[in-house]
Amino acid sequence: MKDIVISGRRIARELWICAGCVLAALGVNVYAIIRFHTEWKELITTLHITLAVAAVFYAVLALLRGCVFGVMRAFRRKAA
Amino acid sequence: MGLAFNGNMDPELSSLSSLGPETRAQRREFLKRLAMVAGSSALLAELPWWSPLRAAPVSDSPSDRVRLGVIGIGSRGSFLLANLLRTPGVEVAALCDDYPPHLEAALAKVKGAKGFSDHRQMLDMPGLDGVLIAVPLFLHARMCLDAFAAGKHVFCEKSLAYSIEECQAIADAHRGSSKVFQIGHQRMFSPVFLRALELIRDGQIGQITQIRAYWHRNGNWRNPVPATGPDPSPFPSLERRLNWRLYLDYSRGLMTELASHHMQVANWFLGARPVSCAGYGSINYWKDGREVYDNVNLVYRYNNGTQVIYDSLISNRFYGMEVQVMGPKGTIEGETGKIFAENPPPAPGIVQLINEIEHGFFDTVPIGGPSWVPELKKDTKGSYLVREHTADDGTAISMAAFANAIRAGKPIPGMMEQACRAGVSVLMGHNAMEQQQEISWPEGFRE
Repeated sequence: MKDIVISGRRIARELWICAGCVLAALGVNVYAIIRFHTEWKELITTLHITLAVAAVFYAVLALLRGCVFGVMRAFRRKAA
Repeated sequence: MGLAFNGNMDPELSSLSSLGPETRAQRREFLKRLAMVAGSSALLAELPWWSPLRAAPVSDSPSDRVRLGVIGIGSRGSFLLANLLRTPGVEVAALCDDYPPHLEAALAKVKGAKGFSDHRQMLDMPGLDGVLIAVPLFLHARMCLDAFAAGKHVFCEKSLAYSIEECQAIADAHRGSSKVFQIGHQRMFSPVFLRALELIRDGQIGQITQIRAYWHRNGNWRNPVPATGPDPSPFPSLERRLNWRLYLDYSRGLMTELASHHMQVANWFLGARPVSCAGYGSINYWKDGREVYDNVNLVYRYNNGTQVIYDSLISNRFYGMEVQVMGPKGTIEGETGKIFAENPPPAPGIVQLINEIEHGFFDTVPIGGPSWVPELKKDTKGSYLVREHTADDGTAISMAAFANAIRAGKPIPGMMEQACRAGVSVLMGHNAMEQQQEISWPEGFRE
């Protein structure tokens, strides 16, 4: 069986993407609080929802990245 | 300080409602904690019948022991007996039933208890402090009066009596007496209903504008009758002895056997007695020779313009039983043990945003749709009145209160008033249906 090697650089990049997703979800929460005039404490009390939204963002981003990677790989093969 | 039955109050008592004390030791611990609440709550000070529960915890000393007898050991009597046997400081010394199978079964459960077939002989038994009366309704008054005359403390199952005159006779006999009287309306001791009262007093539902109560079952309400059996006297037949609830000579049917519980709650929460009532009843399904109605519908009017609407039937159980206390700010359902706000607080902003996006994707676009939206029941989940529902509906606490009151030698304040108000209310309802006219609270009735 072939070993899969994940480089340190790759891990660091995924962690940065994760952090970006969490920040984006927090931004969405801030927007929702302002828009619906709810309480700022929701930034803490709805943290579980924020994290779930961040996970959705990450999953969508992973799907998009997968598509882009697939298309690029197909082009490279064709060029070769 | 208010009652401590949910998470935002005294954590010591937050588990009170979830305790279904099964042994005497568990019950003793339960009552110790109950006494702490009873002694410290401002609301409980307004519930005079809780005052016996403030007594010091009972010990195993013989001087603390209360000796009781049970008259009538049918289905309800057996339930009360089982609770009594688990109540600390109580000795069941005598059992009485004129139906031998019931008496024999009960004596087999209680070691050392003396058996009687005549309640008067039991009342003559030396050393007996009090009696629990769980006999057919038409015998309540006779047995209560005999027990008072014999100097015994009395716990009488609901409803108070068979007629308004008999209710008055019991109240008169008890007035001025130093003996304890307690009625078997266990919701007076239910943590769920006490919490409901606390929220009502706190203005959580606003002014009570209507109470709606119902009790629905689907069954013939009959006990099986053996082909042969012991002498049924004083009943003319075994059928009438075992199914006394179905015959007007012994019972007032759904009103006295079921409605009395919810009418007691309604009168208690409104702090009043009904001015008058009107309604209809009939036998429209169980046409099997019974004499009591199998469906009843009544409206009770109170002084401040509030109405209590009650209905009961035994041919459909979809809605079960409930007492709904309604006000402009919310609704309390006592049996479910929930409160529903009219305008619940909005969902968190992020949830509202997600819902909005979801609706944008999946909702259909109305084109010339209906201008009127059906005002169907609100589908809100509400919140529980207490953290967990209890296995005890208040019966265990009420037994302890009765025993404590006997030990203290003081009548339970407010108890006869509650018994009379509920007992007379249901008899007014029965009379209104029988006479097909509005019936007023009996003039000159002294609670």
